[in-house]
Amino acid sequence: MIKITNLEKFYRTEEVETVALNKLNIEINRGEFVAIMGPSGCGKSTLLNILGLLDDPDGGSYLFNDIEVAQFNERKRADLRKHNIGFVFQSFNLIDELTVFENVELPLIYTGVSATERKERVEEVLSKMQIMHRRNHYPQQLSGGQQQRVAIARAVVNKPKLILADEPTGNLDSSNGNEVMELLTDLNEQGTTIIMVTHSEHDARYSHRIIRLLDGHTVVENIMM
Amino acid sequence: MFKNHLKIAFRSLWRNRAFSAINMFGLILGFTVFIFIAEYVAYEWNANRFHQNFNQLSRLSFLYKTGESNYYLPPGLGPTLKSNVPGIKQVVRIGENVGSGVLSINTGASKNVFREERVSFVDGQFLKVFTFPVLQGNGLLNEPQTMALSKTTAIKYFGNVNAVGKVIQVNNQFGNTDYTVTSVYQDMPQNSDIQADVLLSYKTLESAALRNGNDWADPTGLGSEYSYLYILTNENANLSQISAQATNLWHKLKPDSKNDHVGLQPFQNLHIAPGFSYQFQTYGSLLLLIAFLSVAMLIIVIAWVNYINLSTAQALNRAREVGVRKVLGASRGQLTLQYLTETFVLTTISLGVAMLMVLMLQAAYNSFLEKQLSLAVLNAGWFWLGGATLIISGTLLAGGYVSWVLSSFNPLKTIRSKAFLKVGGLSLRRGLVVFQFVTSIIFIIATIVLYEQLQYMQNQDLGMKVEQRLAVTGPSIINSSQRDNSIAFENEVRQLPFVKQLSASNNIPGQGYNFSTAGITKSNANPGDDKKSYAMLIVDDQFFKTYDINIKYGTGFTLPMLAHGWTKTKKVVLNEAAVRQLGYNDNNAIIGQKIKWNNDFEIVGVVKDYHHLGLHEQIKPMIFLPAVADGFFTLKMETANMSTKMEQIRSLYQKNFPGEPFSYSFLDEVYDKQYKTEYQLGKIFIAAAFTAVLIACMGLLGLAMFAARRRIKEIGIRKILGANVFSLVNLISADFLKLVVVALVVASPIAWYIMHRWLEGFAYRITMQWWMFASAGLMALFIAFATVSIQAIKAAVSNPVKSLRSE
Ligand SMILES: Nc1ncnc2c1ncn2[C@@H]1O[C@H](COP(=O)(O)OP(=O)(O)O)[C@@H](O)[C@H]1O
Ligand SMILES: [Mg+2]
Repeated sequence: MIKITNLEKFYRTEEVETVALNKLNIEINRGEFVAIMGPSGCGKSTLLNILGLLDDPDGGSYLFNDIEVAQFNERKRADLRKHNIGFVFQSFNLIDELTVFENVELPLIYTGVSATERKERVEEVLSKMQIMHRRNHYPQQLSGGQQQRVAIARAVVNKPKLILADEPTGNLDSSNGNEVMELLTDLNEQGTTIIMVTHSEHDARYSHRIIRLLDGHTVVENIMM
Repeated sequence: MFKNHLKIAFRSLWRNRAFSAINMFGLILGFTVFIFIAEYVAYEWNANRFHQNFNQLSRLSFLYKTGESNYYLPPGLGPTLKSNVPGIKQVVRIGENVGSGVLSINTGASKNVFREERVSFVDGQFLKVFTFPVLQGNGLLNEPQTMALSKTTAIKYFGNVNAVGKVIQVNNQFGNTDYTVTSVYQDMPQNSDIQADVLLSYKTLESAALRNGNDWADPTGLGSEYSYLYILTNENANLSQISAQATNLWHKLKPDSKNDHVGLQPFQNLHIAPGFSYQFQTYGSLLLLIAFLSVAMLIIVIAWVNYINLSTAQALNRAREVGVRKVLGASRGQLTLQYLTETFVLTTISLGVAMLMVLMLQAAYNSFLEKQLSLAVLNAGWFWLGGATLIISGTLLAGGYVSWVLSSFNPLKTIRSKAFLKVGGLSLRRGLVVFQFVTSIIFIIATIVLYEQLQYMQNQDLGMKVEQRLAVTGPSIINSSQRDNSIAFENEVRQLPFVKQLSASNNIPGQGYNFSTAGITKSNANPGDDKKSYAMLIVDDQFFKTYDINIKYGTGFTLPMLAHGWTKTKKVVLNEAAVRQLGYNDNNAIIGQKIKWNNDFEIVGVVKDYHHLGLHEQIKPMIFLPAVADGFFTLKMETANMSTKMEQIRSLYQKNFPGEPFSYSFLDEVYDKQYKTEYQLGKIFIAAAFTAVLIACMGLLGLAMFAARRRIKEIGIRKILGANVFSLVNLISADFLKLVVVALVVASPIAWYIMHRWLEGFAYRITMQWWMFASAGLMALFIAFATVSIQAIKAAVSNPVKSLRSE
């Protein structure tokens, strides 16, 4: 599903040039659950952003479903993204002014789903995430675990083939964290490919494979079980 | 301490350059407009105030039962008043411009000739009662054949102000008379309503010989009403009592005037009326003054609103700074002082720049107003003080509010919380933006309505033609051969190939009538008919043809009717309004009927109504009288190659009226001049609308910048979820466009009411249309959208990864 070769990403500020990704090669198959680990600043988020088509690489190739997307322009990337990829963040990134229902509904609005179908699908996914009773609440009125469940609901409502999660449990206590990991595992079992950045060896154990990064480079890959 | 505040103030203004610049721009604009308008208001307010007797002076007027007033009085009433009514110290009569003509001095070898328009007959004490400082001479004009010259006139004639004792020959309607200069006075200031370059003693006209047959001008006469009467009263005189006594006296002198009232108009109210329903006529326009004042107040309030708006919006960026300062021990008072210092610095710079702008743009502003204004006019009365107080208090209020908002942040929240910080007063800021746009939209609507009305007045069918009509002013020297000269001139001008028509009349459209009179009735009149007034115009046989005025019944005048003048011929032409007012049926049978006006006058024709004067007033009942006229010669001609044609006309004029200056005007221009107030209002409103919209947009821009920054996280999330740029721009802009729509809804009825009242001042007017409001709204929407969308687009195309990272 994903194949990156010699992927490079630099950040230039006035004085320094940071090499965030250094000739990185990774391949991920459909249905996999991959964890990415590594020290802070090693380029995990950068990698995830490029995989998620939020950012473009400075060099190398990125095949997404056998299509070369490294040189895609913003509009094409956005198009591919909204139909195929869901995101989960450490800080949830829910919109404060919108209710739970409205937050989850957003991706469907942007892909042009009709209002009646939106209602059905949002309610379906909210029920599945056991957050239906909070549908009219605002994000600030929810606990961290509940907010992350809403964020996951929002990520999957469009039935994406790939979910990218950047430290999804980073802001949660362990019981809430475990709940989130169960949810991701369920999704994976239903066929969704999941790539997750994490600092927690515990969480990484839910995955099939761990990719360890150091200075923008793959160090080692562990296959679980 | 203050120095420290000042240093930090400069630094933080510099750090937030963009915001500071936008903020200052609004203030500079507001202050500049405010100062300009203050100049105008001060100038108008100070009109006539330089007279030392300002508070003891009044002008007399007749007040009629109809509600009309007339400040032309018979000069004979003056001396009688002084001797019969207690409380009156002096009566000064002014026969304004009655003496205009040609003045000449013999300098031995040559004769210097000047045409003077502003030549008035005045009573001997004129220069004592009014404060026009006397530079040379005794300032008295008690003797016959004495005169006084303004400084400029004296220098024009003699090269210096030493003119006392010199003799000048004045050739005007009263013939050729020598006058001796007794005094030279300082030029009358531009904001004096009394204006004269040459003063002639009224006493001169007491001699029948020096009136040259114009007995109407007899200073002791009670018949013709042509003179201003000013009275100087005692300190604590009771004006209403004097007015009552003057009225009694007038009724005794003129038993048939029982319905007229003699009113006193205090000099204070001579220039600007104290209210819109003031019955006396004034020189200045209260409407213009009020329009100016409201614009000034609104613009400066908008500028402050803008300041509040931008500064509180910006406060979000400074929340962390405030938090840190507080944690480090700053008290709320100290913080307030710090931010007030910033306001002070910002305002001072803006005020300074505004002053520079005023100095730079003064000349343009003056030529637009046709007034000599400068910062110096503010140097009178309470204008400096008032203006300064207003600016300082407004600044304190605006600055104080901003400081209060800033210093009220909770330090812990602002430092710790990464989450979106709610800055108080978001709805207040929206309210302020709505207010700004309400004002802007009102100005835009006012401008549209005003120009539609002007357009309407210009395109209205006048019932006659003014284009391609040239009016040449007739001769002012009256002598025995004048009539022959006029006829000769007319005949020669008619020979010119490019002249299609020529008419001589004693007044012209757009300028006025010859006189108005009552006492005209049909033979079997109804009671009260004799009180109705008619506008009289003396014209020749070509007048209707030259102006393309349609004859409805009968004929116009014929050449033989002119020969003996209207007093002997006793024939008249009426307009339709006169036919109605006289009570005739509107049909052909009217021809040959006789109207009574002391004698019988035969109706030889009826013309269709036409707008002799502007569209402000209803068409008056008019009666035309035939005569060989020479007040104005109207030429209908092609206007191509005007300068060569003009030369030909000029040489004929100078040949037939030697020594007379040649002056002319184009009728369409004369006609347009009547709408001068409307043109000026129009320009004021365009300028006001422009300024208000500009400042309002500054506010909107600031708010949009703020909103884009505040919602950067939301925009990022939405983008990641698949939102496109278009929907994001919509998201941000829609909020603001809603505000503009609200503003339109609020502004429309207000604008409708104001402009409705304004339109009522026109007898012929447009009705306001929905599209005027719609286009004002669209314009505001468009400008607002252009302002906001730039910010919105910037936010929408930014990389979402970055905005979420920096969060
Ligand atoms: N927008 C940016 N501008 C400059 N440097 C950046 C930017 N984003 C990331 N970096 C740098 O790139 C490197 C990788 O960052 P990141 O991918 O966020 O690391 P991680 O998620 O593994 O902690 C770091 O050194 C970081 O400082
Ligand atoms: Mg990271």
